[in-house]
Amino acid sequence: MVGLPLLAALFPLDHLGHYIHWGWVYISYANAIVVALMVICFVAAIWVPFPGRNRRKESR
Amino acid sequence: MKRFRPDVDAPEYHGPYAPYDIIKEGTIAFVVVAILVVALATLFGSPDTKAVTIRSWSNADPVDFATTALGELNGTTITAGYGAPYNHGSLGQELGPLHLANLVGVTIPVNPVQDFVIAPLTSVPNDHPLRVALAQWHTASSAQRATWVSRYSHAAVHMTWSNGHIVVPATDTGPLGVMINSLTQMARSGALDQALVTGHGFYTTNYTKPLLFVADGTYFANLAKSQHLLGNQWGMMNETDSYPGQAWLWLYTFWYQVPPFSSSPNADVQVWAIMMLASALLLLVPFIPGLRSIPRKVRVYRLIWREHYRTS
Repeated sequence: MVGLPLLAALFPLDHLGHYIHWGWVYISYANAIVVALMVICFVAAIWVPFPGRNRRKESR
Repeated sequence: MKRFRPDVDAPEYHGPYAPYDIIKEGTIAFVVVAILVVALATLFGSPDTKAVTIRSWSNADPVDFATTALGELNGTTITAGYGAPYNHGSLGQELGPLHLANLVGVTIPVNPVQDFVIAPLTSVPNDHPLRVALAQWHTASSAQRATWVSRYSHAAVHMTWSNGHIVVPATDTGPLGVMINSLTQMARSGALDQALVTGHGFYTTNYTKPLLFVADGTYFANLAKSQHLLGNQWGMMNETDSYPGQAWLWLYTFWYQVPPFSSSPNADVQVWAIMMLASALLLLVPFIPGLRSIPRKVRVYRLIWREHYRTS
C-alpha cells in the first residue's frame, strides 16, 4: 500500500483549467473565484457588526 | 499653538475604553484557518505536478533535447547568450543607460559547451568510441570545431529519433554524431541530471545547471504554455492544472500584458523598476501629501466604525 495517498481529494483539480479571456484580461476560473471570495470577505469585514455590540449597548 | 494637521497628528481620545482579548482572537483565527486548510485540502487536493527533469525531457522528446544540446555547442541557446550572472554572452537587459545584471557581474559562471556537454561526456566510463570522439574534439582547432558544428546544425533540421538513436543526415561532422548521441543516451538514463547537479559541495540541491539546460529547449516552454504559465498568459499568477494561483501577483504580471512592456526586450527589468517604485510609494504613504489623505477623504473608516460615529 506504500505510495497510495491516505485520503484522495473528493473533488480533485488536477486537470487543465478553464480561463476567462476578455480583451487583455486572462484569468483562470479558480483565480476569479478566489478574487471574488476576497472581495466578499473585504465587504463583510466592513459591514458585519463587531461581535459583542449588543453587550456593549446593554452596558451603556 | 501649532496647527492640527489631520493626516499627521492624532487627536487626543476622550471616549470610553473597552477590554480586548487579542490572544483569544488570535486563537480563534488560527483554529478557523486550520480547519479551512484541512477541509479545502480534503475537498480539492493540492497541486502535485511532477518536476520536469532532463531525463523526463529527453525521453519524451529526444530530438528536442539533441537539438538543444547542439545549440549549447553552437552558442545559440538562451543560456549561451544570457550574459550576467552566468556568462559574458551579452550585456543583459537595460534600464536606461544601466545594465543592472552586468554591473553585478558573472557570479554563477556557466559555460554551456563545457558544463552541459563536454564535462558530462568526459565523466562517462568505459565508452571507447566516446573517448575517441572527445579526443578528436579536444585536439581540433576552434575553426575545425565550428565547421563541424555548422555542418551538423544545417543537417539537424532533418534530425530524427530512430531505433534508440539520434539520426542526422550529415557528413564530415567529426565527432559530433557520437557526442550528441552519447549525451542523449546519458540524458535518457538520468545520468546527465546527476552529472549537472553533483560536484558542488556536500549538499546537492543546486539545480541551476539542469534548470538552465531544460529551459533552453522548447519542450519545457510548450509544457508551460499548455498550463497557461507563460509570461504573456498572466502566468505569474497561475498555478498548474485547475488550482487557484498567486492572484496577489496580478499587478506584477499585468505590466507584461500591456505596451510597451509586452514587446520590450527589457520588460523584466522595466517591470521590476515599476514595481520597486510602486512599493516605495506604498511604504512612504504616510509621508506623501495627497496620497496620505486618501483614506481620510474616502471615509471607509466611518463605515467600519459607523456605530461610534452614529452616537458621537
